Amino acid sequence: MTESAATPHRQHSHEYEHLLPLLDELAELDAGDPRRADLREQLVTGFLPVAENIARRFSGRGAAKDDLVQVATLGLINAIDRFDPGRGTDFLSYAVPTVMGEVRRHFRDSSWTMRVPRRLKELHQEVSAASGTLSQRLGRAPTPAEIAEYLGVSRDDVYQGLQVGHAYHPASLEESVTGDDEGMRLAETVGEEDAGIEGVENHESLQPLLSVLPQRERRILALRFFENLTQTQIAERVGLSQMHVSRLLSRSLARLREGITEDEG
Amino acid sequence: MSEQRQHVEIDSRDDIELRLGADVVHLPIVRSVAANIAMRADFDLDAISDLELAVDEACATLIALAAAESILGCRFTIGSDEIAVTASVRSDHTEAANTSSFGWQVLNTLTDSAVTWSEPDGVGSGQHLVSIGLSKRRPVVAG
Repeated sequence: MTESAATPHRQHSHEYEHLLPLLDELAELDAGDPRRADLREQLVTGFLPVAENIARRFSGRGAAKDDLVQVATLGLINAIDRFDPGRGTDFLSYAVPTVMGEVRRHFRDSSWTMRVPRRLKELHQEVSAASGTLSQRLGRAPTPAEIAEYLGVSRDDVYQGLQVGHAYHPASLEESVTGDDEGMRLAETVGEEDAGIEGVENHESLQPLLSVLPQRERRILALRFFENLTQTQIAERVGLSQMHVSRLLSRSLARLREGITEDEG
Repeated sequence: MSEQRQHVEIDSRDDIELRLGADVVHLPIVRSVAANIAMRADFDLDAISDLELAVDEACATLIALAAAESILGCRFTIGSDEIAVTASVRSDHTEAANTSSFGWQVLNTLTDSAVTWSEPDGVGSGQHLVSIGLSKRRPVVAG
C-alpha cells in the first residue's frame, strides 16, 4: 500500500477488496458497452461509504448534510470513471483526493453565502411565499413587479430577495420533509417518468447518472425536460416553491453535465 | 409610425457583453448576470430561471469545446419582448455543438429558440469559433 498518511480510509482498505476486480473490468469495457451501467452502479454503491465518510468530515460547516453526500458521491463517480488500474495506483489513494476536491469545490463555490443577513433571508421567504400565492391566483408564475406590488415593497427589494435564493442552498432556506407519504408516492412514480428518457441519444450514459440523483431531483428533471411542465407547475405537483425547484434543477443539470463529459472525455 | 413602433430595433446601448476565461469556475457569474437581466426586464419567475439555466447549459457546452486558454464571449441583447444571448468560444473542433445530446434537449425546452453554428475564426489559426444562440421571449401575460 502506498497511501499517504492523510488518507482517511487506510484502515478500511480491505473492506473494498472485493470491488477491485470490478474496477479492472470496468476499465476494460468499451465506452458503449451496456454492462458499464451495471458495473458502475455496483462500484458506486460499494464505495459509497468512502463518499459518506468524507462528507461527514466536512459537515458542521454550514452546508446541508444531504448536499455534501451528493457532492461527495459525484466525486466518487468521477473517480470511478477516471481511474486507470494500469497506472498501478491504489484506487482509494486516487479516489479520496478526487472526492475531497469535489467537496472543497462545493464549499469554494458557495461559502460566501453562509452568512447572509437576516433581513435578506426574510425578504427571500416573503418573496417566495408571495410567488406561491400569486402563482395560484394568476395561474402562472408572477413577475418581480407583480410581487413588489403585492408585498408593497420596492422592486429592488424583490430583486434582492430573488437573488439571495441563488446564493443559498435550498436546505438552509426551506428544507422539505423527506421520508413521508409523499416521498413514498414519488418513489413509485419515478420509474414511469424516466421512460421519456429513452428518446435521447445518450440516454445510456444518462441513466446511471440519473440513478445517482435523489429521487426527487430525478422526478423534477423528468417533469421539466421530458414532460415539459413549467417550474411553477412542477412546484405545485411536488409541493415545493418554484424557487426551490429552480435551484434543484440547476444543481441536477450541473451534475449530469459533469458525468456526461466524463464519459465522452 | 405605428408600424415602426411595432418593431422596435434592439438598441446597442442595451446590449451587455461578458468576456471571461473559458472555465467552468466562471459559470456562476454568467448565470447570475443572465438571471439579473431577465429579472430587471420583469420576465416572470419561470422565464427568469429558464434563461438562467439555459445560459448555464450553453456556456458549459461551449467551455467543454473550448481550445486551451481561450475566452468565452457572451452577449446579451435585451429587446422589448425577448432576450437574446449569443455565446462563442474558440475551438479546435470544427463542428458546432452536438444537437442530439441531452444538453441540447435541455436548451430546446428552456428557450424559444436555440441554434448552434461554427465558422473559421478568421485569423487563419485553423481554429473555429463555435457559437450558441438562444432567445427567450417574454411570456404573453393576460391582463
